[in-house]
Amino acid sequence: MACQTLCKSSIAIRLGRTSDSLSVICSSHRLPLHPRRASPSFSSHLLSSLSSSSSRFVKAYSILSPIPSTATNNTSLWFLQQHPHHHRSLLWCLNYSHATNAYVDTGAEGLGKHYLGLTDDELMRECEMDTFKSSGPGGQHRNKRESAVRLKHIPTGIIAQAAEDRSQHKNRASALTRLRALIALKVRNIVNLDAYSPPQELLQILPAKSSIRGSDCGPQIGPNNPKFVLGMQALLDLIFAVEGSISEAAKFLGLSTGALSRLILSDDSLRMAVNEFRASKGMKPLK
Amino acid sequence: MKLSLSSVYRSSNFPAILKSSAFSIPCRSFCFSSLSSSQTSVKAQIPLFLRPARCSATLHDLKKWHDWAKNLASSIGLTFEQSDNGPDSSLLCRELKWLLEDAVEDHTLLPLMGVQNDDKRVTMRAEVDELYNLWNQRIHERRPFQYIVGCEHWRDLVLSVQEGILIPRPETGHIVDLVSDVVSKDDELKVGVWADLGTGSGALAIGISRILGTEGRVIATDLNPVAVAVAAYNVKRYGLKEIIEIREGSWFEPAKDVEGKLSGLVSNPPYIPSKDISGLQAEVGRHEPRVALDGGVNGMDALLHLCDGAALFLKPGGFFAFETNGEQQCRALVDYLENYKSTRLCNFEIVPDFAGIQRFVTGFRRQAI
Ligand SMILES: C[S@@+](CC[C@H](N)C(=O)[O-])C[C@H]1O[C@@H](n2cnc3c(N)ncnc32)[C@H](O)[C@@H]1O
Repeated sequence: MACQTLCKSSIAIRLGRTSDSLSVICSSHRLPLHPRRASPSFSSHLLSSLSSSSSRFVKAYSILSPIPSTATNNTSLWFLQQHPHHHRSLLWCLNYSHATNAYVDTGAEGLGKHYLGLTDDELMRECEMDTFKSSGPGGQHRNKRESAVRLKHIPTGIIAQAAEDRSQHKNRASALTRLRALIALKVRNIVNLDAYSPPQELLQILPAKSSIRGSDCGPQIGPNNPKFVLGMQALLDLIFAVEGSISEAAKFLGLSTGALSRLILSDDSLRMAVNEFRASKGMKPLK
Repeated sequence: MKLSLSSVYRSSNFPAILKSSAFSIPCRSFCFSSLSSSQTSVKAQIPLFLRPARCSATLHDLKKWHDWAKNLASSIGLTFEQSDNGPDSSLLCRELKWLLEDAVEDHTLLPLMGVQNDDKRVTMRAEVDELYNLWNQRIHERRPFQYIVGCEHWRDLVLSVQEGILIPRPETGHIVDLVSDVVSKDDELKVGVWADLGTGSGALAIGISRILGTEGRVIATDLNPVAVAVAAYNVKRYGLKEIIEIREGSWFEPAKDVEGKLSGLVSNPPYIPSKDISGLQAEVGRHEPRVALDGGVNGMDALLHLCDGAALFLKPGGFFAFETNGEQQCRALVDYLENYKSTRLCNFEIVPDFAGIQRFVTGFRRQAI
């Protein structure tokens, strides 16, 4: 990796309206971004508008980051950025064909997977931290009322917050956990169905009766285990790839449709993500 | 540890304000049992959550108190916030929940409150009557929540606090991160002696000593005997007595023996300009000690003194970090350092806090050439 070239690695397109905004990032990173590099310096130049008719203004930024030229794999990701004051997260999927010049790849390491692989410190370094009431001079002037924490993950724009604990430290930890879950829910890695085999972290969250799950996977990992989000992300990647069809996805996982539905329904955020995606495809929600 | 007043008054940098307020510490012993720290007359109080659970109440009575307290909190609405940027009712309700958690031994019973088993008894660390008292103080006197429960959750620590010492602020925690950064780049700093001047509850000293590990040492000073007692209590609770030494006295005075030897120096000294004290949020202005807040006419008295001391007390390559009132003080301090201290100190930086306010000034003692 001797030579590092500065190349245009991704394009972020932001569709903004006054009340909500939808951001799409189409990126073709050749390597998982290094955490330091991933905090993008946006050089903003306006691009041509997308086909979307509802947007008032369409802005695009290109993210410049040095990428080693010997890199091999490519990823694309799409995600929706919720407007900061929208509490409920909304999951949208864009048809691949909408993503103008995105590079669709056959898989390997995805960027979304990369984020979840970071340590807390590394992930934190990609975030901007805010407290809610940052008005006023702070410090000795205030009796601490700022233990609430809001984290914004710069590369994806995803926001997670926590306020229930007394210590800012603990709230920060909860916000990070929440951020990981949101990344899993919102950042999609591309799956090549022709050569699909479920990654280990997905196998680990499957029930033991899955016919492709070897005994080396250990006991099934449930939603309370921090590792669950990795499996959840891989599962959503697959469900997006099969356009929301649970029976299709179940086949890839060696499960009955019923068993996969039960897995999806076992976690509220996973269920909501799948159902919102299915709704966008005109499919019935899982119940 | 000598705690007579004369030893305090001997100090040359003794600010006049001390005489007016530092020793007018209200004694609120009804809530806390006390633990005396060695040889001192000042006692560190045991925080509510560490008190033995010797009291009890029925779920019914507890619920009655809780409903009353919640109503009181809700009746505040935005009143405090609008008058002096104090807490609003949602925040007070959150505090109420935390108070309940500290007072009740078995948290799993809390959801049962008002649901069933009204006569069931709950083991508690305070009588319900006391809880009425405490919540009245919280709302009507604006007594800080942290004094009510006797502790503050600061970073990953739970520190004992009480009337007479400053409640550590979340912003200050960033100094520990700054120290962590420099120490990770320079092993030599890790094994040396550090100082936390004006240690208060001991927050910074404890935070830093946990980064330095067993080979580092921290000297923590404060001229307020209550701070000395409370810091000693906290240091002991975290098992750091071998690493942190608490000394009573003014700034560098009790640390003469380490002049020119310090690997690092941190402080969050009083920095609020005197004229701003009267307008402070009631929890702060009415209850926290003035000696911990008032930094003189422009708030910089202690900060300038600390910069002078840094030039003398740090060893070559040593690091310092001070908290300030904000951008204006940061700039003024860096100006001062550049104009008057640059032969000995260098690499000055202004570092923002998590809210984006320019909060800290850092720098190094020049390496010997
Ligand atoms: C703003 S408080 C900071 C306390 C603690 N370091 C913290 O960050 O939470 C300032 C501290 O400086 C102490 N102090 C004030 N004047 C002092 C002096 N002349 N010498 C030593 N300490 C002093 C006060 O007693 C108080 O504990």
